[in-house]
Amino acid sequence: MMNPENLIFLPVALPLAGAAAAFCAKAWCTGSLAKITEYGGALIGLALPWAFLAAVLPVIATGGVVEGVIGRWYEGIGITFRFDGLSWLVMVLIYSVTTAAWIYSLGAGPRNASFSAVYLILVSALSATIMTTDVFNLFVCLEMAGITSYVLIASSGKPGAALASFSYLLISASSMVFFLLGVYGLYRLTGALSYEGIAQGLQSLPDGGGTAAVVSLALMIAAVSVRVAVMPVSGWLPDAHALAPHAVSAVLSGVLIKVPLFALARVMLLMPAGMQAGALIGYAGAFTALFGVILALSQKDAKRLLAYHSISQIGYVVSAWGAAVHVGVTTPAGAALMAASFLHGLYHAMFKGLLFLSIGTTVDRTGQRDVYQLRGAARILRSGGERIPVTCICFFIGALAISAIPPFNGYVSKTALSHVLSGSFHYYLLTAAGVGTAASFIKLSRIYWPQKQGGEHSAARGRTPASVYISQLFLGGLCIAGGISASAVFAMVVNLLSASGAPVPEVAFYSSANMLKALLTVAAGLILFLLTATKKGGALLTTIRTRPRGFQDLFISFSLAAAVLVIWML
Amino acid sequence: MMMLIIFVGIFGLITSDNLIKKIMCLSIIENTMILNFIRAGFREEAAAPFLITPDAVTVDPIPQALMLTAIVIGVCFNALAVACIVRLHHTTGTILVSDIHEL
Repeated sequence: MMNPENLIFLPVALPLAGAAAAFCAKAWCTGSLAKITEYGGALIGLALPWAFLAAVLPVIATGGVVEGVIGRWYEGIGITFRFDGLSWLVMVLIYSVTTAAWIYSLGAGPRNASFSAVYLILVSALSATIMTTDVFNLFVCLEMAGITSYVLIASSGKPGAALASFSYLLISASSMVFFLLGVYGLYRLTGALSYEGIAQGLQSLPDGGGTAAVVSLALMIAAVSVRVAVMPVSGWLPDAHALAPHAVSAVLSGVLIKVPLFALARVMLLMPAGMQAGALIGYAGAFTALFGVILALSQKDAKRLLAYHSISQIGYVVSAWGAAVHVGVTTPAGAALMAASFLHGLYHAMFKGLLFLSIGTTVDRTGQRDVYQLRGAARILRSGGERIPVTCICFFIGALAISAIPPFNGYVSKTALSHVLSGSFHYYLLTAAGVGTAASFIKLSRIYWPQKQGGEHSAARGRTPASVYISQLFLGGLCIAGGISASAVFAMVVNLLSASGAPVPEVAFYSSANMLKALLTVAAGLILFLLTATKKGGALLTTIRTRPRGFQDLFISFSLAAAVLVIWML
Repeated sequence: MMMLIIFVGIFGLITSDNLIKKIMCLSIIENTMILNFIRAGFREEAAAPFLITPDAVTVDPIPQALMLTAIVIGVCFNALAVACIVRLHHTTGTILVSDIHEL
């Protein structure tokens, strides 16, 4: 029982068991028994996987890959899970953010057993997504993660949440149908569903399957891009992330948009056409980073501003990811690119989770989400019983991290990204996006500045629960720890991602040149912020903010993206 | 033929203003895809793939197994989407997208 082949199902099975316990709590238990069952379920689903991750680390760290077939079927018939360095790393990302966000939800809501159950199913689906090795199982896992996330978004009960959830459901369900069409195409061509089976089948075909294979692969990539929210197919994200409950926003932004990306890398790296597509997606990512930040800068709703930053930051991740897929992770350059991409994904999950939670606490306390209206939030938080300004400090940790200020973790991952991408086209777009990021967080941090006139916002009644502080401090601590142990973490990520033992590139994280660059970026951001604060700048931002959006645009951009992908790969 | 039905679904998905109709169009696209898969595994004069002798000619069982899963997922989608619509109707009193955006 204790051999690794059986253990690797635990990250999927434990959260599911926890979800079952939470459902039991909802169905049959009352009073304190219900609470005990629900919390026990969450403990099984969110805490025990950490023990599993610690237990398998010695096997994984030496380049070991564990495979297991569900139900002990013959290999090739049953569903196979593969647990390797990439799975390990992505699971650390999943469990660190989901654990913190669940603790936050205890204090800030939605506080009920059915929320915990659906939440745990989402965690289970995400773990399965990164371990899966066949395209149909990937489809099922993505759908499972999707369906649970629609429920969680709608669970906030805000007026727009149902509509946001509905339009996310509509676009992602229709894109997943095209994913299925891609699966169909590849199955027709090769008669296989596993990643390796498809890759081998395509290799044995004349000219690698030709147009049919390329179209199938392009449909799959485009469908997953909708989930990852790369521009131009990111239009669903701001509403969904802004209107979800705060804890869910943190998970959606931190985890849900990244896991499909790294799962997709497994497929694309096996096929020449997929590696070619990586280059195009890398460019799309770099543009996403820049345009996302321009849109973010123009927002006035605090959570919507953060949601647009998620698009922008995923652009950073995708641009390095695409370049890594293009050159292949077996080369040292590719391994370094993939490591930098993952590192930013992980650190973004931490600081964006922290930002969503601390802004969530702030807007709940003050009852005001408008960045231009809300002032003096620090004082309002203090009158709500916060003697040490935890929320305020945590917000600033997150804001400094995302603006790449040393010694926080965002600085480290962005330095790693600019090191591996230096000299390329992406580098300049990402640097420009960094200026915008600094500017928009100067804008957002103004909500904590002291108020000039007397207070007009009344704070919500009651004290902020302790679990809110615990989760914020946990993520804040991770942000600082990630920044201080920069070189060690980066070396570990490179080692885990390249089983062949590629050399770890020497990145001087705290060199004076890199520090100077961070300083100059912030200075440029300050100038940009002052420009947008002028009358003309404000008018321009309003124009950007109020541009029309609709479901039609999303669908058209999805078709266009798929078509461009096909042309690029042919 | 399949592509034609899919385009009917997509057309309806984009042009219809009614949320229920959007869901119906999504179902049309999904079911077309399911038919498509089943057709891919079909062979003339072949038996159903269960309780067979080893040398019997059967249809390909894999697409059928996959599509059973896909049908279940489709049902989940429809149930969830209709639940969302009911909720929207409670809060806004309408199921037309244009009316909801005006509010």
